[in-house]
Amino acid sequence: MIDLQGYGPRLLEGALITIELAVLSLLLSVVLGLLTATAKMSRNWLAHRIATLYTTLIRGVPDLVLMMLLFFGGQIGINMVTDWLYYQFDMDIFINIDEFIAGVVTIGLIFGAYMGETFRGAFMAVEGGQIEAARAYGMSESLMFRRVRFPQMMRHALPGLSNNWMVLLKTTALVSVIGLTDMVRVAEEAAKATHEPFTFLIPVAVIYLLIASLSEWFFAHLQKRYDVGFGGEECNN
Amino acid sequence: MAATPLPLEVINLKKRFGDNEVLKGLSLKAHKGDVISMIGASGSGKSTFLRCMNLLEQPNEGDLIVHGESINFKQTRRGREPADWRQVERIRAKLSMVFQGFNLWAHMTLLENVVEAPIHVLGKPKKEALEHGRALLDRVGLLDRADYYPTQMSGGQQQRGAIARALAMEPEVMLFDEPTSALDPELVGDVLKVMRDLAEEGRTMIVVTHEMSFARDVSNQVIYLHQGLIEEAGAPAEVLENPQSERLKQFLAPKF
Repeated sequence: MIDLQGYGPRLLEGALITIELAVLSLLLSVVLGLLTATAKMSRNWLAHRIATLYTTLIRGVPDLVLMMLLFFGGQIGINMVTDWLYYQFDMDIFINIDEFIAGVVTIGLIFGAYMGETFRGAFMAVEGGQIEAARAYGMSESLMFRRVRFPQMMRHALPGLSNNWMVLLKTTALVSVIGLTDMVRVAEEAAKATHEPFTFLIPVAVIYLLIASLSEWFFAHLQKRYDVGFGGEECNN
Repeated sequence: MAATPLPLEVINLKKRFGDNEVLKGLSLKAHKGDVISMIGASGSGKSTFLRCMNLLEQPNEGDLIVHGESINFKQTRRGREPADWRQVERIRAKLSMVFQGFNLWAHMTLLENVVEAPIHVLGKPKKEALEHGRALLDRVGLLDRADYYPTQMSGGQQQRGAIARALAMEPEVMLFDEPTSALDPELVGDVLKVMRDLAEEGRTMIVVTHEMSFARDVSNQVIYLHQGLIEEAGAPAEVLENPQSERLKQFLAPKF
């Protein structure tokens, strides 16, 4: 058995942070992705432009650079605003960007751009007749989205979505640069202190692998659910 | 205006795709119980005309009046558009459409397809909608297929299911867009039989069709469209048995 030399609980805490960070970022990125895809497909010129700018910017800059820009740059920006409020109105406010929230927002923003493209492709793959029938039966745009577009789009989105999730999961390892103690950070510290890198890096790798395998199972399950009605089943007439 | 408003009236409808004017001023009155067959060569504009009636296509000019309610339009940068989409949704719910390609929602079972719009668009109580839905599936001979998905059914079954979905809305008018054109010949009969029954019970129907026997035997009015204009219209006996225009004579002549 591996001797974690007392780092076990901290490593577990780190793993929990990794999971929380990944799941919350995923939720944010899915919401942003749906919004981006909708904006890109809309006839509204401004919405289209903003969404295009967002995806171009995010996908063209390295994740690590973005993370530091948003975290450190964001803190400087907030400080400038609070300083100004102090001098102008004598308001004494101090806002410190929370590392965890900063991590969720940054990763969510980054993957929102990728999700946007995944969802856009998936929405376009929905057969036109399905949407037309929804229109012809008096559905409003929002009802149509909930009842037809979304459930039919998901089966096309899931392969890309699960792929994005795997990359996102591993991207969470970057948050140690903004001072968040995820499991990679804990393992790194422990490895340095004990001069036994493998003792800590191998458990970390195994935990990542475990999360990834569980999610693969979960996504396969979702895929099966959203594939219902789209062939595959025997025609038992 | 008569005491009871017409289910559907179209006045001088025009439609352009770019510079190409495909409908050049078409009018139509559907009285309660009318079964109107629209015939014509492909490209004559008959499907586009039908799709303008429930605003799946936006007409560039003309008026649509559904059960006495006139659809409001406004001019925008993109052209003429309905002024109030809520009104359009309300009116579409009164004009059920049956498509050439069935277009049953693939992720729902047949029964779910039938009750979907009654529950979510009309706000009908679920239990009532399900009861009504089952009764309609029974009518079109598909009660045993209620829990099947569309891909598990034949084309003819899907189209009969789509007719049940249309009936579930209790529509003012049913619009049929070439309902048998995508079917294997041996499946056409079942669908036509269902449509014939609907005509007999007094449903108001507008049917774009290539089935001359249906036009002749079931409808009380036939409209022959040619290049975006109504070339001939009237009772099937007049129009089909005694065509006046050369084009209609040619169109009706045996093709082989």
